[in-house]
Amino acid sequence: MIGKAWRNWPVTVRVAFVTGTLMVLLGVVASQRVLATLSDLQNERLREVAQSHVDGLQVALAPFVLRRDVWEVYDALDRTRSQTGGARVNFTAVSDDRARVLAATDPKRAAIDDDFEALLDSAVPVKEVTTTNAERTVRIVEPLFIQDREVGRVLTELDVSDLAAQRRHTTIALLAANSFATSFIALAGYFLVARLLQPVELLTSHIGMTRGAPERILDTDIQKANSAFATLMKNFNEMVGAIQARGEAEKRLADRERFVSLGRLSSSLAHEINNPLGGLLNTTDTIRTYADRPDVVRQSADILDRGLKHMRDVSQAILHENRVDRSMNPLTLEDFDDIKTLMLPETTRQLQELQWDVTFGDFPIDRLPAAPVRQICLNLLLNSSTAAGRCGRLEFRVFADGERLCLQITDDGPGLNKPSLARLLSQEPVEPGGGVGLRLVGDLVHELGGILRHERTAGTTVISIHLCARDDPS
Amino acid sequence: MQRRDFVKSGILAATLATPFLAGAAVPFRLGLTPVFLDNDAHIIDRLRSGISTALGQPIELIQKRTYQEITAMLLDGSVDAAWICGFPYLQHRERLELIGVPQWRGQPLYQSYLIARDDDPAGSLSDLNGGTHAFSDPDSNSGYLVTASDLARNGQLPENFFSRAIFTYGHRNVVRSVAGGLTRSGSVDGYVWETLQQTEPSLTARTRVVAASEWMGFPPFAARKDRAASSAIQQFAVALTSLHTSESGREALQLLYLDKILEGETSLYDGIRSRMADLPERG
Repeated sequence: MIGKAWRNWPVTVRVAFVTGTLMVLLGVVASQRVLATLSDLQNERLREVAQSHVDGLQVALAPFVLRRDVWEVYDALDRTRSQTGGARVNFTAVSDDRARVLAATDPKRAAIDDDFEALLDSAVPVKEVTTTNAERTVRIVEPLFIQDREVGRVLTELDVSDLAAQRRHTTIALLAANSFATSFIALAGYFLVARLLQPVELLTSHIGMTRGAPERILDTDIQKANSAFATLMKNFNEMVGAIQARGEAEKRLADRERFVSLGRLSSSLAHEINNPLGGLLNTTDTIRTYADRPDVVRQSADILDRGLKHMRDVSQAILHENRVDRSMNPLTLEDFDDIKTLMLPETTRQLQELQWDVTFGDFPIDRLPAAPVRQICLNLLLNSSTAAGRCGRLEFRVFADGERLCLQITDDGPGLNKPSLARLLSQEPVEPGGGVGLRLVGDLVHELGGILRHERTAGTTVISIHLCARDDPS
Repeated sequence: MQRRDFVKSGILAATLATPFLAGAAVPFRLGLTPVFLDNDAHIIDRLRSGISTALGQPIELIQKRTYQEITAMLLDGSVDAAWICGFPYLQHRERLELIGVPQWRGQPLYQSYLIARDDDPAGSLSDLNGGTHAFSDPDSNSGYLVTASDLARNGQLPENFFSRAIFTYGHRNVVRSVAGGLTRSGSVDGYVWETLQQTEPSLTARTRVVAASEWMGFPPFAARKDRAASSAIQQFAVALTSLHTSESGREALQLLYLDKILEGETSLYDGIRSRMADLPERG
């Protein structure tokens, strides 16, 4: 999840984030070193002060402690306190060799003859004293000697609140400085990387313009970039040119295939005329041969009549199909009749059942162009007829669906395979060699701004085209 | 001894004796005890100056920590005279002569104060039973004898009545001890406490007087009885009693909050004598 989110972040933000993180790490390490050094210095200073204080007390007090002279011990402590102003020394208590308090700077805290051991909570020798964990005070206990004989002990409470405050202030200063430096460098990194990656962003944005095709980068933008990115952009432009050239080639190929398809259609139509024409010529030969037999002549005349009617239908259909300058004519009901006329010979030939239902009510079909709609219907019907096969069933329905005109072709054939569906529904380039009929339908629907749907249910294939009426029928 | 040897000896003796014969060069030695604020160098200096002017010769002031030391020096002649307490004066009255008694607030008398911290509820000596106590000096009337004799009159000893009794060897120290909380109570010279109230009110403000003794003879100036008739002692006695007549003397007395110094009488110390009688003999 985090990795995915991370990959989704812009590279400029990622660089700024990484820079900031590294700065924070660096700041933490540097701050830790500074604080550790400060703590060492403070501990050293505190030990010097404590040792000096204890040494002074050692000289001043030891003889009195030996004699257990309460007043002199108190007097020495009191005078020491008043002379030094109590700087750093909060409290001092002195005991004799029986661990009984002789005197203290604050007799309320430690009265004469109190248990000295009870005062030693958290007290340590001078060598072990440290300010690291002390917020306000540290407590030191040291023995008092006369000629190597321990005559008593001294407990001193030193005020280290100033040292703690110094550490606190240093920590805050470091935190503020590091935060400022981190923010500044992260921002600087962001803007610097953003500037460095500006050509990449430009390239990315042009690559992302894939609605139609990638767009060329302007020469003015290329000139702004450094040589490496300029080369990259030029290569990109060459690639865009190659893509466009390929697209145009595909379009030409499609046009060629369309012409081929039209040629095939023409051939089929010629075949439709040529075959019955041969039959008709045979019939005329028969009439000539059996002119004296009225029944044969009558029968041949009937055959001629049917054949000629069929040819008339086919020729009418071809005439309609190739009428000049009708591509922009508005769609009419007759166009659907033409389509039916064109389809009937094929469905009859294949012994197929064709259901025809064209009822669109008040829908303004004249605001749709006739040629593309005819092309769409004819192509799909021919395709469905082929798919339905011999004795198959076809259904063609035209109805109004709200603001759209729906053309629906249904057949009970085996359905469209994947390449055919791709040709029909997708605008992506297709493998060559599969014909252009379905692709042509797809392109025409797309050009008309229509919607093309394909359904395969209960052994039937339903292809629906929804077309919007144009505002301007011209 | 040959004649020539005798002459030599005489010359040598005369040579050696010459400085001592020049009386003006030998300072008068006056011993001081903490019967007054002996910690104040300015007062000491003014006192020296005042007496020296009145005496007409240099004076050497000798201070020791305890009364006993000064008394011993007085008795063995190490000092010519001393300002001591009435208690040691009476202890050695056969060998000491009264040569002057300061007058304070119009009379040569003072009191002993029993003091406690200002927030202590004690109303009398008996309320201080079991607490710690500060005495001034074992040879001090106001700083020991009065409280010890009061206890003795009730059949008690300081070391038993108090949980702990200490000697501070100075009346000001007694006040410091009580004010600082080192001891719950203390026995102090009333004159010193009152003077401190003038000079160091912040110190005495942390104490209060629980009880005051009867009026007793003010700590006197004394000299050895066998030297009392000497001109030096006589001149010193005159200088003391006339101290208030000179400018420097008045200045010294003013700093000591004293009126003047009287000749004094032994009967002033009858009260102390009475208390001494109540005190059990010291082992």
